[in-house]
Formats: sequence, C-alpha cells, structure tokens
Amino acid sequence: MAQRCGRPPLTPLSKEGNHLGSILVAVLSQSQAPPMRPDSRARRKSGFWVTSREAFWIALETLRTHKLRSFLTLLGVVIATTTLIVVMSIINGMNLYIADHIANLGANVFILSQYDWSATGEDWMKMQRRNKAIRIEDFEYLRDNVKGYKNIGAEADLGGSDVKYKSRILHEVEVSGETPNMIDIGQAKVGAGRYLNDTDYAHESMVCFIGQDLVTEFFPSLDPLDKEINVSGIQFRVIGVAARIGTTFGQSQDKFVQIPLTTFRKIFRARPNLAVDVQAWDAQQMMVLEDEVRALMRARRHLPYHDTDNFGINASETIMGLWHQLTASIFAVTVGIVAVFMVVGGIVIMNIMLASVTERTHEIGIRKSLGARRSDIMMQFIIEASVMALAGGAAGVLISLFVSKIVSIFFTASVPLSAVLVGLFLSTAVGLFFGIYPASKAANLEPIEALRTEA
Amino acid sequence: MGCAIVAALVAVRGNHEGCLCDARGISGKETRIAMGTQLAPSSTQETPALPVSVMIRTENLWKTYDMGEAIAVHALSGVTFEIDRGEYVAIMGPSGSGKSTLMNLIGCLDTPTSGKYWLNGQLVSELSDDELAYIRNKEIGFVFQTFNLLSRASALHNVELPLVYSGVPAKERLEKAQEALRKVDLVERMNHKPNELSGGQRQRVAIARALVNSPSIILADEPTGNLDSATGEEIMEVFERLYEGGNTIVLVTHEHDIAAHAHRIIHVRDGKIERDESVK
Repeated sequence: MAQRCGRPPLTPLSKEGNHLGSILVAVLSQSQAPPMRPDSRARRKSGFWVTSREAFWIALETLRTHKLRSFLTLLGVVIATTTLIVVMSIINGMNLYIADHIANLGANVFILSQYDWSATGEDWMKMQRRNKAIRIEDFEYLRDNVKGYKNIGAEADLGGSDVKYKSRILHEVEVSGETPNMIDIGQAKVGAGRYLNDTDYAHESMVCFIGQDLVTEFFPSLDPLDKEINVSGIQFRVIGVAARIGTTFGQSQDKFVQIPLTTFRKIFRARPNLAVDVQAWDAQQMMVLEDEVRALMRARRHLPYHDTDNFGINASETIMGLWHQLTASIFAVTVGIVAVFMVVGGIVIMNIMLASVTERTHEIGIRKSLGARRSDIMMQFIIEASVMALAGGAAGVLISLFVSKIVSIFFTASVPLSAVLVGLFLSTAVGLFFGIYPASKAANLEPIEALRTEA
Repeated sequence: MGCAIVAALVAVRGNHEGCLCDARGISGKETRIAMGTQLAPSSTQETPALPVSVMIRTENLWKTYDMGEAIAVHALSGVTFEIDRGEYVAIMGPSGSGKSTLMNLIGCLDTPTSGKYWLNGQLVSELSDDELAYIRNKEIGFVFQTFNLLSRASALHNVELPLVYSGVPAKERLEKAQEALRKVDLVERMNHKPNELSGGQRQRVAIARALVNSPSIILADEPTGNLDSATGEEIMEVFERLYEGGNTIVLVTHEHDIAAHAHRIIHVRDGKIERDESVK
C-alpha cells in the first residue's frame, strides 16, 4: 500500500536490499516530521517574547477600542500618580527655592542667637523660659577668644519700623544695627556708595545703608546718597545703597535700613539682644568653630554638663533641618493618599479584568485550542493589566507636568525625574499585582467549556 | 546492527522518535534508549509495536460525566479504533452519539476518564496540560462548525496565531501564514477581518489556520454546518485537495452527504462504534 504523505514517502519494508538505503534517503530528506517530545525550553525562550509582544498589542488594542471604559477604570491610578508627582514637584521646587534663598546664610556662616530656630513644641516652650539674650559682652568675649575665624560680626534688630522721607512713608521696614564687617558676612551687597565703616562705628555716626525698596519708594529719580531719611523718628544720612536681593516666599528682602551697632545702642536700645554671625574659612572649619563657640558660651554661662544649651547655634543645616521636618510630614500624608488611591485603582482594574475575562471566555477557548498554554494566557492578561495601569500612570505623568507648570506660575514646582519613574513603576506594579487573580482565572479555563461559551 | 546505524544517522539528524525503528518491530522504548533520548515518565509504558503508518490509535476509551447523586453519564463507552496516516475518515452519528466527545478526545481538548490514546506513537491520554497544549499547537489543526476566528483580528493574524504560540518570529510567521492562505485561495483577503468575509471564506481562513503549523491531522467538526450547500461543497473540495496532498483528515458530522466525501466512515451511536466501513 503506497503511503501518501505531504512529506517524501518512506518506502515499504518488504524490499530488504534497498531497506537501509531507502531509510537513509528518507531520513536525510525528511524535513517536516515533528519531534514528538515537546521541546519546551526552546519554545519557552523564543515563545516568551513573541507571545508577550502579542499580548502587548492586544492590550493597546483593547485600550483603544474601549476608551471610556479604560478611562474610568484607570481613574484611580491616574489620580494617584498625578498626586504623587505634583506633591513631589512642589516639595522639590521648594527645596531648590529654600536652598537658594533662605538657607543661604552666607557661605560657611553660622549664627549664635538667643533661640534655636528649629525647635518645636515642648523644646520651644522650655527655651522661652530658659534662654538668655546674647549681649554685646558675649560678642566681644567671643571676638577676642575664638580662634581662627574668618570673620565675626553682630547685628541687633529693631523690628518693623516706619521710615519717612519728605512726604513719603514706608511701614514695616527692617531696621538693624550692624558691625562693619557684616557686609562681608551677610546677604547684602553694596550697589552704590559704601557700607558702614569703622569710623562710623567708632564715632556712632548717624549714617545708614538702605535697601532697594527704599530707593524705589523715596528716590525714584534721585541719587539717594547723602539724603536724610527719618528712621523711627530719628534723622539718618544715607551713605550707601544695597544691590537688589529679591523676594523670599513673597516677602521682599530689600526693605531694610542698617546703621552702625554702636549708633543703634546709643539711639534705640542700650542693651540689645544680638545675633552673632561667625564666618569660617570652609565648611569643615565651620563645624569646629561651632563647637568652640558652644563650649565657650556654656563655660561663660556656667552650664552644668547635663544641661542643654540656653542659646541657639543656627546654621544652614538648622534651616534645612526645619524644612525637611516640614516636608517629611507633607510627604507622609501624600504617601497615605497615593497608597489609598492606588489600591482602589488596583481593585477597579482587577474588577474590569475579571469582567473582561468573562467577556472573552470564548476567545480564550479558541486560543487554547490553537496551543496556548496556561502560562501564555496568564501572561497575556497580566501584561494587559500592567499595560493598562502603565497607560494610566503615563496619563498621570502628563497631567502632573501640566499641573506643575500652572503651580509654578503662582508658587514653585519643579518635576523631579525620580518622581516620574516612581509613578510609572508603581502604576505598572499595581496593574501587575491586581491582574494576577483575573489572569489565573483565565488561564485555568477548560478549553472545551470555554469554546462552548457564547462569544 | 542495522538498527544501530539507523540510530546513529537519526541521532545526527536530531530527535525523531517513533517512526523508523518501530518499523522493524523494535519497541518504542528500546528505540528511544538506542537514540539516547530522555524518557518522560508517562511514556515509559510499553508501547506495542505500531506500524509506522498508524496516526491515531485508541484503546477502550471511556468518557464519563458525573452528574451527582450516583448518576453517571457515559458519553463514550469503550471506543477502540485506528486511523492511518493519510487517511480521510468521517465519524458519523446522530446528536448525543458521542461523536463530539470523541473528537474532543482525539483533538486533545479533553482527557478520557479511562482508556488509552496514542497519537503518532505517543501515549497522549496521560500528558500534562502544557504537553497537551503543545500537541494541539503542533500536531492538530482544528476546523470548527462556527469557524471560531478572532473577530477583531485580520485573516492573516488569525492564521498566524498557532505560529505565535509556537514562538515563531514575525517574518517567518508572515511567510508561513501567507503560504497557508495561498493554499486555500484567500491571499487577496488576508487583511480583511472575519466580519468582512463570507461564511465560506471564513471557513477557508479557519482551514488555513489549521494548516499553518503543518499538523499531523486535520480535525473538522461539522465544517459545513453553518454554510449553504453550494459553499459547503466548495469547502469539501478544499478538504479533498488537502487529502490528495497527503494530509490525514478526520471529519465529524451527522450528515450522510458530507460523510460520503470521506474514504472511510466510522459510525458512532450511544457512545460505541456501531460500524466501520470503507466507502471508496
């Protein structure tokens, strides 16, 4: 009986003489006879990428054809991602802002003052009771006994005062008494004229150094130098103008009048509460000087070993520390909100995927009848859930970019790349996790039952 | 001695069990040992010496459904038969006769409650889920009464689906799928979706899909059931062509006119084989 095959025929076994030869021919020319044992490893390796790509395109197609349903499904994930990124952007923006504007006490400068600026709650209450003011004697003592500083200066604040010129008046001007070296230590820089000098200091001169806001208000088209202004009822002659500094959190930094500290003591306060600014040569030395000042002050005030300081040593780190406390609590709240939305979003995705599996039971049956294994079906639906969630995350990223742009007009926001990556990763993970249950339901369908289901 | 030379040649060519040495009356187990291939636990059964030509062999297949309360429904009650490579067989019977159940078992969509089933020399009835899926992918090409195409995919994508599950890369898939469509005269429509095709065209796409992975057998369940008689005849002509090209075809139907196209009819009734006749 002749064999009919799509492949070159094997000759019958009756002819002994040709037997081996014919088998040889058959062996060498057969190309299509399949191996019977499932060559699962090779199939799995190349198969994984092929079926994954298939799943990926199916996922995008499903998203495309069910736009409204997809949108509603992904709302939770989108909101979560947007919230996360926007909050991170605001915090990031503020960090940069703070680092630039506020924490910049001046390079390598720390300030000895009555209070520690970063104290909170109970500590702060204690400080109100215990801490003593820094007096001129403390300043002079430190000036004479601390070794190796680059500069040491002092300032005393009057607080917000009225300054007048002719018929014009400015309220809430920061009036302070400074030592002459404060121009090197502090934020202000000379724009025109000169700063207060040692002669002014020695003679308790009635001179002042003004900020740009006063120039704008009093001397819009005049040269301010040598003009007399009335500071809190007293006349002072302007000898210098500061360069413009700018605003911090909406507060202008240019609304000030600085006079010599000696003059300040003569006219306004005999025993003012000072802030002593110490400038080091570099960051490392600054820490050394901080310790030295602390030790000297503690000794001077006869503080026992176990007592805390009754003064404050404040550096940029203090401010940054304060700031990070604040942002940490904001961030904690955000994490809570984001987590809730992600979980809700994940459950919604799971629900929709379950419905999708039920809807496509017939299709799954077809795929299984064509050779899709459990893992293929599982992979298909997990990838679908992940891609959907990732799309939600991406939408969240786009929205948050837009929102951050708007926020940065009124306030400050700068989108950090890390937040975007975390947002995308988190969304995908949520999709993956919540997609597992529906995917396994799909994978475990019996092919025949699935095929019998109405499409 | 001759077997050793054959074994060596085959080892050079690659894994190929079940076909050659069986011809000389050597058991499948010895053949596999000679070839140095690993034995899967399930196939350590003693396989009786099968002629190389036997494609499907069943022995006392039973399929029972437990309806609870000690009521058992026997869809198949001890079915035994053989189908050779290259045969064109119809399985015929009224509804409820068990022919669909038998087809599901042959097609590895289901496993028997008891009994054995060898496909191409391998004992199939005790394979794992993944192994069954592999066989469905590579050995069997299904053609259904309701076509069972994916409605949102083009004809081309439908045809290449078995290749996707074989892990075949895109370029090769495209070629093979187009080749399969060429065999059923449907290349011009390859980018159409099923709802843009007539019933006959859809069935031809299904046939192309069944062919694309070069399966051992083509299994058709009432392939003309949803078609008018003229289109039905066209489809039967396609099957005739495939048979002449050397494919093994098993048809399940309740219509005598359709069964008459085959060269052998196995009549099934009440879960048993009633009659097995050659018609051509």
